[in-house]
Amino acid sequence: MPRVEAAEWVGGPPVRDSDAVAALIPMVRRIVAARVADVTAAEDLVQETLARVLAASGRVEPGMLEPYAIATARNVVATAWREQDRQRRNQHRVVDLTAPDLPEGGLLAEEERSAVAAALARLSERDRQALIAHEVSGRDTRSLAAELGSTAGAVAAQLHRARARLRVEYLLARDRTEPPTDRCRPVLFALSSGDRRRQREVDAGRHLLECDVCAALGQPLLERAPQRDDEVRIPIGGDADVVAARQAARELAGRLDCFSPTDLTLLATAVSEVTRNIVKFAGSGEVVVEVLDEPRRGVQVTARDAGPGIPDVERALQDGYSTYAGLGLGLPGARRLMDEFAIASEVGRGTTVTMTRWCGDR
Amino acid sequence: MTGPRLVSILRQGSYLIASIHTALDDTEMTAFQHDLVERIGRDRARGVVIDVAALDVLDSFASWTLRTIGEVARLRGAVTVVVGIQPEVAFAMVALGMDTGSVRTALDLEEGLAFLDRVVGPRRPATATRGGPA
Repeated sequence: MPRVEAAEWVGGPPVRDSDAVAALIPMVRRIVAARVADVTAAEDLVQETLARVLAASGRVEPGMLEPYAIATARNVVATAWREQDRQRRNQHRVVDLTAPDLPEGGLLAEEERSAVAAALARLSERDRQALIAHEVSGRDTRSLAAELGSTAGAVAAQLHRARARLRVEYLLARDRTEPPTDRCRPVLFALSSGDRRRQREVDAGRHLLECDVCAALGQPLLERAPQRDDEVRIPIGGDADVVAARQAARELAGRLDCFSPTDLTLLATAVSEVTRNIVKFAGSGEVVVEVLDEPRRGVQVTARDAGPGIPDVERALQDGYSTYAGLGLGLPGARRLMDEFAIASEVGRGTTVTMTRWCGDR
Repeated sequence: MTGPRLVSILRQGSYLIASIHTALDDTEMTAFQHDLVERIGRDRARGVVIDVAALDVLDSFASWTLRTIGEVARLRGAVTVVVGIQPEVAFAMVALGMDTGSVRTALDLEEGLAFLDRVVGPRRPATATRGGPA
């Protein structure tokens, strides 16, 4: 057999000076796992502990490395708890209040105050008073409820809504923007309150693609929402995002443990097809992959764009219909690969493909 | 391009062995197509093996590109064989209604080279040009 005329490069010999620390890994894992339930969070903390122990290994006497690692692991976990608690308490705030002092700090603080004041002025009298009583005067929901002849739960819900509205009005006041359409405020409010059902009702995803003002304002609101591990959102802007979208879909669906490798490949292929359509015809858009629990467990993919739309959807779903170099299998192919497939398109407004693959049988 | 190589095109005798190492987007896939077709002429290759074992998805565009490479290579006087299509990928291609058209396929690199030896006939390694990474 002829010789292959190029050789693959092989990495150098492994470094061996971290053996003592490596031996501590199982013990550190046990300590952290006993305190932190979330597997990925625990693994992060394990790695952080090991990094600290490794950094200190030169300073610690050989026999003391194990107790040192135990103490470090406990400290790392305690710090993570404190941080988590702080974040939970401050979650409803849009602004990071611990921003460092800057020369222009005074000016910014002044703008900040006027924006908050303007935002407060836009709330209803009832919401404003409840918020001020709770956030500024520190009244608890129970005493507020007693005063209003309501329940603590209802007051908490009212405060939640009022905060969501305040965040929207604050962002509008800060940027001195008036929303360009009637739909902007409801969409921003739905984003701000983190209410996914409401977001669907007002079709927030589509509006954010259409409205640049809301897309910009919505960013901090979306980032505020706790990172969901049953949903990924991939902005689509070019070829590389086709690969990113299908890999994200495979990754999310793979975590459900109900899809075979073949199912995952079928899903990834379908995502690839619909995402490519966004790039080819609309230029940009987004793909959202989410885990469904109702009516059954499965994975739903929503691919939307604000592009030119498809004039003849029926025809686009037929095999062999293609307006670009391909085999015209994009949409009909994706439909065959999924259990549910729906397409809504409006010329001049854009296209939304929603497709689902259910767990289990098939 | 920086970072690890996405594809490699190695010369072995009168054959080219093109391996795709990672998922390629459409632009990269098209660049790969151009590089490979260009190498067929430069290296006077008579057979081409495209190894897609590392790909977890062969969607309509990727399949179409492989077909195009095969057709263009044929017009340039080389036989193309695609090897290493993973079982899940094969299922997906069937479900999608995709095919590699007139391009031959083989299970793995060994089978692919054996196929080329049968069709093209083994030949002494050429010495005019030296193969290297594309």
